[in-house]
Amino acid sequence: MTGSRTVSLFVPCFVDQLLPEVAVDTVKVLRRVGYEVEFPEGQTCCGQPAFNTGYWNEARPCAEHFVQVFKHADVVVCPSGSCATMVRIFYADLLAKSPLREDAIALASRTFELSEFLVKVAGVTQVGATFPHAVTYHASCHGLRELHLREEPLQLLRQVSGLKLIEMARSDECCGFGGTFAAKFADISASMGNSKAESIAATGAEFVTAIDPSCLLHLQGILGKRQSRVSTIHVAGILAQEKS
Amino acid sequence: MSTTPAQRFLRDAAEKSADLVHRELIRRGMESYDAAHLAGRARIKDWEAARQKCQEIKREAINHLDRYLLQFEEKVTSRGGHVFWAANGEEACTYVRNLATRLSVRTVVKSKSMVTEEIHLSPALEKVGIKVWETDFGEYIVQLRDEPPYHIVTPAMHLNRGQIAKLFREKVDPGIDSDDPAYLMAAARRKLRQAFFAAEMGISGANFLVADAGVLAISTNEGNGRLCTSIPRIHVVVTGIEKVIPRLEDLAVLWPVLATSGTGQGITTYSTLIGGPRQPGEVDGPEEFHVVLVDNGRSQLLADAEQREVLHCIRCGACLNICPVFRHIGGHTYGTTYPGPIGSVLTPHLAGIKEFKHLSYASSLCGACSSVCPVKIDLHHHLLQNRRNATEAGATKSSERLMFRAWRSAMLHPRMYALGGWSMRKALRIIYGLGLAGSILDPMRVWNRHRSPVPLPSESFRARWRKSLGAN
Amino acid sequence: MAQTENPSRDRILERIRAGLGTVVPEPAATRTERVIFEPINNPLERFQQECVANLMECSLTADCAASAQQLAKVLQSLPEGEAFLQDDPSLRRLVELAASRRTVRWSSEGAPSEGSQATVTLAEALIAQTGSILVSASCGGRGASVIAPCHIVYATVAQLVPDLATALSCMSQQRSLDRNSFACVISGSSRTADIEKILVQGAHGPRRLVVILQTGT
Repeated sequence: MTGSRTVSLFVPCFVDQLLPEVAVDTVKVLRRVGYEVEFPEGQTCCGQPAFNTGYWNEARPCAEHFVQVFKHADVVVCPSGSCATMVRIFYADLLAKSPLREDAIALASRTFELSEFLVKVAGVTQVGATFPHAVTYHASCHGLRELHLREEPLQLLRQVSGLKLIEMARSDECCGFGGTFAAKFADISASMGNSKAESIAATGAEFVTAIDPSCLLHLQGILGKRQSRVSTIHVAGILAQEKS
Repeated sequence: MSTTPAQRFLRDAAEKSADLVHRELIRRGMESYDAAHLAGRARIKDWEAARQKCQEIKREAINHLDRYLLQFEEKVTSRGGHVFWAANGEEACTYVRNLATRLSVRTVVKSKSMVTEEIHLSPALEKVGIKVWETDFGEYIVQLRDEPPYHIVTPAMHLNRGQIAKLFREKVDPGIDSDDPAYLMAAARRKLRQAFFAAEMGISGANFLVADAGVLAISTNEGNGRLCTSIPRIHVVVTGIEKVIPRLEDLAVLWPVLATSGTGQGITTYSTLIGGPRQPGEVDGPEEFHVVLVDNGRSQLLADAEQREVLHCIRCGACLNICPVFRHIGGHTYGTTYPGPIGSVLTPHLAGIKEFKHLSYASSLCGACSSVCPVKIDLHHHLLQNRRNATEAGATKSSERLMFRAWRSAMLHPRMYALGGWSMRKALRIIYGLGLAGSILDPMRVWNRHRSPVPLPSESFRARWRKSLGAN
Repeated sequence: MAQTENPSRDRILERIRAGLGTVVPEPAATRTERVIFEPINNPLERFQQECVANLMECSLTADCAASAQQLAKVLQSLPEGEAFLQDDPSLRRLVELAASRRTVRWSSEGAPSEGSQATVTLAEALIAQTGSILVSASCGGRGASVIAPCHIVYATVAQLVPDLATALSCMSQQRSLDRNSFACVISGSSRTADIEKILVQGAHGPRRLVVILQTGT
């Protein structure tokens, strides 16, 4: 992995289908800081939905497929804290009895969330971005508590020209998405989302950003229903913006 | 027509999620706790080292549970105390009831014990005509309302002072004419004082059972626990077998950590140690001392290699306080003795996985609970394991099983996945175009109940990549 | 308890031992002893600070005469009613010097009465870290530190230990809990926050905890 300038892009399934601009912006940013990007087209899903709902037997072949698809990769970058967590933290357990266990563990060690990759692997916090708006940051749970990414996204945001970063109260309180939780316990999920929307509104920011597109999808829906003027944007989306 | 616990939970959760008055009350209470908790942690030089130490103490205790329980029992009996091992709640209740009947007990004063809630001890005693007084202020309040405690540390946090004043006017003293908390506490003190001095039996729980000294440790603030264990002539302790710790010195870190996590205090006002009945030469104290060690499913957890550590819980309540789900639905919605993250993890083991597995799904797995647990129990990962266990036990809906099998097929075939994604976007665009969002035809209707519809791009990322982005 | 009276005892022990047969992988124990609590350099100062935070009253006195004066002052501030005292020569002397007109009941006569307005006891130790008094059954019994609305503790600076660890370790070494069925670390007046998390001082136990801390002989 040392010195390689080619990054393999891991695009979460729902980003691929519903929020493609997050992946497009990720490519833009990686190229701007000097990396070549390849996208293994055989990828589908890391297996998280089935895994989180307790269906490990269904998640396992999915994970094995993923490991095969990315086996050749020097380094894997993903614009999602929860999906990167799936590979880094949970693949070892899920594939404990699989013949691909060793490959999975090796792959995990070279799989990174985007902001983590930029700051800790590429060693950059200044990516030449401009975004002259008031922005508040939501600290997505997986990135924060599983990958321990507290500072990295903020370090990147602070270097964005013109960006005014406003801290929200309880920025690390869960937004309420939680995957299938949002469907099984819709009322609680929405209630949590609305509490978060209130914290966001209290900052007066125009945008809320995060490293997890699933949080942003959920918040976009909640804010939309409240007819809020706040827009959601992924950290990659901010970093991809250049001076117009 | 009876509803299952899962159905009741969904119904109550929906109601509470929409109850903004309730949410605001809980938010203010938790805000106060958050500030106190942070201040409390600042008093400890190395909080992570404290957590580590507490985890090690509990691990040692649980991994040698038989040895330490026997050591504790030996010391207590050498001082004239009695130790009774109860396999389940029924045995524990029978023992206490028989004891009370044999000793002509008519009145009992109780200090807080979640285990006594778990085994429903009060109803068992009331059934034979014994009057049971809850003396912890919060427990006394919910007892007057005939409802279970809302929270394991602050049982009445769902009530405001106006509600409590009205309750006291109706049930305690018609002369109550203020909702000032100090005034209400004074009224409770006057009423309960009569009970303390009239009761023949005092029942308490225990926060810790100290093996080497053979004493129980009780952490309280009000002094009711002190009075329950000093004045009546019989003292009965009802405790879970997992409360054991090896040494007296372990309390030097456990006491401050319990207090910090529970209320943000450096230590609770009374950290009491009791090892037996009144000894010869002592001025006062109970003549009889009985410790009821309750198993009720705990020994089963020992065999679970993944989840044995759940027995390390010191019942501080920190996971309840931080949990965003708890903050939105409150303690009563869980419908279990132990609510919050620890309740969701533990209840399937104590009361059956089929009936209570729904609690393990009622979580976004945010992990905040694990991050604050003072004994470092990996709570949110245990919820995930419970989900897996439920699936493996065949306890999930067949429609869901079929759905994930279909999902798996799609995900193993990239072209099928891409086609599936494209079809879904296309279908949704048509459905929404016809104004049918939220209708029975809308597969996203659950999502759309509380949110504006998801974006529907005309092109997936991979299509775009193939078309134009591929070149570096 | 005999086997026939408690058949579950052996069954539970059996289940525990069977359960513990499952091996749970344990992480390597931490070798380095990390310092959990800030070391206490000035115990007296720390004790006084903690007393303030705990809503306790702590008065430093130079000698017996000053202590007696302080005791008289506190007793005078209280409503009519009996005072219960631990029967100890030092307290007998103190009460004599204080020359209070209040009715006094000694622990040798029995437990404190329900209507006591104050109790006066010695302590086993004072703990600086948490601003605590350590009492035991030997300090006038269990009720002495909780029944009356005011509890007065007469102690000397020599009894002050820096932290909980020291106090508990001393108790272990001296086997205090073999000689006392009860001990308690008291860190303030009784209190509750059960209504809207609002702190109320004075719940079921004493509203006032007064420490008369004598520096000299």
